[in-house]
Amino acid sequence: MNHTPNVQRPTPKTFASGQLNAEVSAESAQPSLKYRSLKVFCWLLALVAAGIFIYAGAIKMLDPVQFAHDVKNFQILPWPISVALAFYLPWLEIFCGFGLIFRFFSRGAISILTVLIVVFTLATAAAKVRGLDITCGCFGHASQHWSFPAHLATNLGILAALLALWFSNRLARQM
Amino acid sequence: MKLSLTRQALVLAALSLLPAVGEAIYFRGKISWQSPIPLSEMVSVDQARAWGEDVIWVDARPDADFGRDHVPGALSLNEDRWNQLLPQFLAAWSPGKKVVVYCSAESCDLAREAAERLRKEAQVPDVFVLNGGWEAWVKKNR
Repeated sequence: MNHTPNVQRPTPKTFASGQLNAEVSAESAQPSLKYRSLKVFCWLLALVAAGIFIYAGAIKMLDPVQFAHDVKNFQILPWPISVALAFYLPWLEIFCGFGLIFRFFSRGAISILTVLIVVFTLATAAAKVRGLDITCGCFGHASQHWSFPAHLATNLGILAALLALWFSNRLARQM
Repeated sequence: MKLSLTRQALVLAALSLLPAVGEAIYFRGKISWQSPIPLSEMVSVDQARAWGEDVIWVDARPDADFGRDHVPGALSLNEDRWNQLLPQFLAAWSPGKKVVVYCSAESCDLAREAAERLRKEAQVPDVFVLNGGWEAWVKKNR
């Protein structure tokens, strides 16, 4: 009575195919682990980059008058444009920062932030070349006494993080 | 939402515009769109010299620059040693005297900041920023 007619005994063929399935799932687990670690890496990188821009944006947003003077001191733009940028740039940094964290238009956010950091770096280098006595307003008063190499190192570090984020995001999408 | 990179960037740029406009309206009384320092708070070298003895010159540059050279009779009052130097300034100041603050050049911001602190923290009226700073003074006195 122990006989169960509907249960098929594993034939050599079905056994072999079961083994094959196990191998396939083991193989497919490999890329998913890679994918997950890449995702975690992207997220951590995005969090750090976003934190920097949200902090920098918030500090400048709280004191747009000081930031307008910081922009003017680069002697690149006329005063009315410096004022307009002093009101606009901090919010752009904040929105892009949150875009990175919450994956809301993150590709757009990365590209805007990359352009911004490149422009900031070029403006700082141009000011140095022209021998201007300027205080960078990048992080409000926190960055007031930064030396030129410190500025450059920070900006290049942020740029590297943004580029790593861009390429790791692309890689994650391809996997 | 799947949007092209350009559209994503444009949406973010447009979204940032809204609070920026709000902030510009909020700060409209605190910043002039025409000039970084209101013209009423600036003074030229010639005008300041014409005030003669009624002026206290304040050098807002760092100690090293002040030590190298400065406007004759100027007092040093820089951000690094503000609390140390302020009593010396207040001892020299008396109501009715005009104060002219300068830093290295038009590009520097130290004079404007020092002038603002003198007005707000020390309650000193008639504080002016020297147009062109130390550079302008040197040019006029060559």
